[in-house]
Amino acid sequence: MKKLFLILYGLFLLSFSIFSYLFVDPNLIYLSNLYTGFAFNNREITTVIYLIGIIIFFIFYISFIQFGRNKLLNKRGVVVLITITTLSLLFSYPAMLSYDIFNYISTAKVAFFYHENPYIIMPIEFINDPLLSFTHAANKIALYGPFWILLSVIPFSLGFGNFLIILFSFKFLNILFYIGTLYFIWKISKKNISLIIFGLNPLVIIETMVSGHNDTVMMFLAIASLFFLIKKKIWSGLLTIILSVLIKYSTLFLIPIYFYGIFQIIKNKNLNIEKFIYFSAISMFLIFLLSPLREEIYPWYAIWFLVFTALIPEKKIIFYLSISLSFGLLLRYIPFMFLGTHFEITPVLKTLFLFFPSLILLIFFYSKKILWSRNI
Amino acid sequence: MRWILRSFLLSIMFLFFFYSPIFAQSSYVLPYPSFMPGSPFYKINLIKDKILKYWYFGKFGQFNYNLKQADKYLVEAKTLFEYDQFLLGQKALKKSDEYFYNIRSNLDNSKANKESIDSKRTLLKEASLKHIEALLMLREGIPEKVYWRPEKSFSTKIYLKKDIEMSISIRRKNL
Repeated sequence: MKKLFLILYGLFLLSFSIFSYLFVDPNLIYLSNLYTGFAFNNREITTVIYLIGIIIFFIFYISFIQFGRNKLLNKRGVVVLITITTLSLLFSYPAMLSYDIFNYISTAKVAFFYHENPYIIMPIEFINDPLLSFTHAANKIALYGPFWILLSVIPFSLGFGNFLIILFSFKFLNILFYIGTLYFIWKISKKNISLIIFGLNPLVIIETMVSGHNDTVMMFLAIASLFFLIKKKIWSGLLTIILSVLIKYSTLFLIPIYFYGIFQIIKNKNLNIEKFIYFSAISMFLIFLLSPLREEIYPWYAIWFLVFTALIPEKKIIFYLSISLSFGLLLRYIPFMFLGTHFEITPVLKTLFLFFPSLILLIFFYSKKILWSRNI
Repeated sequence: MRWILRSFLLSIMFLFFFYSPIFAQSSYVLPYPSFMPGSPFYKINLIKDKILKYWYFGKFGQFNYNLKQADKYLVEAKTLFEYDQFLLGQKALKKSDEYFYNIRSNLDNSKANKESIDSKRTLLKEASLKHIEALLMLREGIPEKVYWRPEKSFSTKIYLKKDIEMSISIRRKNL
């Protein structure tokens, strides 16, 4: 049964990986032999397959959580599951849901091939560069922090100019940081369930292993910083949180909490770790909610708070909200997938899809609470 | 009440209908004057310029930096000449010339392809034309030469028209 479940999970992930290739961009010359145009010409079928895929993904996820809670899934089992997930999705097509990985490559090319400052020179200034035909934010200067740009020299150089190797090297780098994040989650919580909640969350998996977003890198450094602070290593903690901010700036919102932690350590006072994690989760959730002020709530932004919420699985409402929001965020891709436009009704539908599962959950949660209190 | 609301909505629609944005005529636009000599922020601005030189690394970065600086000091010179501050104006013009002189060399060694470099050359040509246009206008309103006599210092003879001719010739090389 256990083996069958693992095989089914692996097969499902492989199918998802194959499904991702239906989204190959027509302008991506490097994968032109894999281009079918299916996702763009058969929007209804593609949306239905995606929706079913997401539902199956969450059925597996909830099952893993149940197995974890019932002690049917030990640490070794989680490691096996994560290995299967990584191997199945490493070679999936990364621009299925977001084109950000192309922006990472374009920015790295500006910095390390053209030797220009990516904060001044936009990729679009290099007319006829082959990356321009499929990079969506070529008309923008670097959107990410300097430490990310510095890190991107690794996957960019590993490719030796071969676009596909560079592309998958970027994905591989992000997966390494995902594994690092899991390592620190384990080190801090020593809970198998925390590993499952974060590591096997479909949103985390899709946004890290399929789309290759660098949010995992930022959160790896934030969680590493938390670990160092727990161990009372102030300088290491300080350095890692600063490096985290220099990846994507969002963790700037953690600075007051981390400084409070450092202050407590200096004063030889006990650091209430649970409270620290709780406020870090709240803080990252707030910045997540505020992201429409800049652009919009992108699904991968959830990784910012999911890292912390996984560490406090006993907080039921946070736990359920994390799952429902993860589900809602992955549903956000549906309106564009179906309609093929970012305008008209799409933004409204995106918001509805995002909050609908959480709203249902909250209504259910509170009605249950009210009914329960009335019974007493 | 309803009548007021309707007329309000109609007037807003009317405004939107007839509103049309005004676009600049010139394809290349010079910036507004920045801090002028004498301002306490002028020195800070000079330091900022020196730091920015390193921030704008790379061939295209240096191209942008030198062009930006050339524009800035040309506008500064123009403003100073208009206020008869000839010595300071001449100094600013020389700075603008220096930056302008440096622009072209950055394109020659760039790793970018021919099309990208050509687009920068086009931009440089447009900038040169605009600079020449501004310098020609400036030449009309200034004397041939002036004796500049600062307080507690020796007088200096400034050949304004000759300097402007020199600046124009530097820019003409890019046409």
